[in-house]
Amino acid sequence: MRLKPSSGKLGWLFLLPLGFFILVFLLTPIVGTIQSSFYQDVAFLPKRFTGLSNYLVLFQDSAFRQAALFTLLFVGVSVPLECLIGLIFALVLQRSLPGKGMWRALVLIPWAIPATVSAKTFQLIFQYHDGLMNALLQGIGITNAPIHWLGGAPSAFFALVLADAWKTAPFAAILFLAGLASIPDDLHRQAKVDGAHFLRRFIHITLPLLKPVITVVLLFRIIDALRVFDLNYVLTGGGPGGATTSLSLLGYQRYLSGDFGLGAAVSVLLFLSAWLFTWLYLRQARSVEA
Amino acid sequence: MIKPARYWRKEEWQIGLLTALGAAFLLLFCLLPFAYMLAVAWAENHDFLSPQVDFRWTFANFREIAVPELHVPAYLANSLGIAGATALGATVFAGLAAFALTRLRVKGGRGILLAALALSMFPPISIAGYLFRMMAELGWINTYPALILPYIAWILPLCLWFLAGFFQGIPRELDKAAWVDGCTPWQLLRHILLPLARPGLLSAALLAFIFAYNEFLFALLLTVDAHSRTLPVGIAMFQGLHGEVPWGSLMAASVLAVLPVVLLALVFQKQIVGGLTRGAVKG
Repeated sequence: MRLKPSSGKLGWLFLLPLGFFILVFLLTPIVGTIQSSFYQDVAFLPKRFTGLSNYLVLFQDSAFRQAALFTLLFVGVSVPLECLIGLIFALVLQRSLPGKGMWRALVLIPWAIPATVSAKTFQLIFQYHDGLMNALLQGIGITNAPIHWLGGAPSAFFALVLADAWKTAPFAAILFLAGLASIPDDLHRQAKVDGAHFLRRFIHITLPLLKPVITVVLLFRIIDALRVFDLNYVLTGGGPGGATTSLSLLGYQRYLSGDFGLGAAVSVLLFLSAWLFTWLYLRQARSVEA
Repeated sequence: MIKPARYWRKEEWQIGLLTALGAAFLLLFCLLPFAYMLAVAWAENHDFLSPQVDFRWTFANFREIAVPELHVPAYLANSLGIAGATALGATVFAGLAAFALTRLRVKGGRGILLAALALSMFPPISIAGYLFRMMAELGWINTYPALILPYIAWILPLCLWFLAGFFQGIPRELDKAAWVDGCTPWQLLRHILLPLARPGLLSAALLAFIFAYNEFLFALLLTVDAHSRTLPVGIAMFQGLHGEVPWGSLMAASVLAVLPVVLLALVFQKQIVGGLTRGAVKG
């Protein structure tokens, strides 16, 4: 029942600031970037329409292919790992531990701190001479000689994945925790009465009921991991030899070198892949809510 | 099939063991890098893990980052100011919009909500180049608004998504009574909904603050020097006073950088967790 017939128009007034910010600082830049990607738009040269040539240049550019491959690999390795660690954290946090709030705050901290700070910390951890990782590995006796972590492509990749997992597994844990809380206790109790072992209960009750949340977390993390920038910029600088340059970092480098069209084309491709997963995410988020 | 009590005792024991292992893993995983950061910040030599070097406490690293030449206090002030303004702006505008979408008759409200959220999911790089040109044309590079305005735009949809859900949870009987009493929409928002929505507004403000405090790409592109440079950028570019990477003072600056958010996480743990889960899982 609405007693205020005029409230519909008034509603738009309340939406004005939102509309202004989205139009000016999100929509216009995105449209402008898409437009630029079809132009030769280089510093100090006249702008001219060149159709798909920026994209063609990219597809033939080995740096782009390397960045695309790295980004895919990074998403493919880090996201499942983060979700797994997050799930373990959530299962631990779900138990009534002494000082419950402290545990949650502890898990929140890596998520809440700036990515450049965690990237610098992990850069120090993976230092060749005096880093924590080499000291630990040699201390336990896994390796005799220190490993040049950031000097080789596979080990630099590993360092990035670990640093990313440290920062984002907490986010997954918090969402899983909410998902776990929504599973009715009765189901577990009933299964226990029927004699089901806790591992069976986990596989046959917890996991299936958690599936919608797992999907949301996976998609959310994929969207976020696709755009990874801070970590590569600081921890590896995209190296060694461009081996850990993400698409975002490549786009940034193209912008920085003054080639606005190429930077825009990289951005648009990244944006399209993120858009695909966003669309899936919104569908899933709606079905979780329903 | 009924299992004997001994079976369940054994199961309890197994679950307890797994939980303890998981808790130990959690502690180690979350705390170790953090503890290392703290230790290096207070160590006289950052390479104290080498067998030849002893660990000695010192406060020198913190004294070093206090010198004006390194601008660390200025970066911190910029970060706090920009994040604070973003949190305020995003919460107010998201609150107004959430009110309109949940309480006033707006056509296509659901569509607006989804479209806004879809927009905010895009990679920041997809607008970074354009924003740089825009701010350069406006002459705003290296000013607070150049960061605050895009930050508000970027985090607004998430705050809106969260607050719309929160407003929906406030019983409608209240506003029916208010309409009957002849309240204007503004009075309804101001006197009835706002007091009830305060916890939700706090969550939204916290999320916006943490986002803006941590943001890197825009801050890297749109700031030039200590006039507006934020702490994440300052730390990424940290050079120190004497050449080679000054790990001690860098970690001291890092400790300073994480202090505000760690305090927030400790004090407002519940509100942040609530904001994250409602913002991402539910609508």
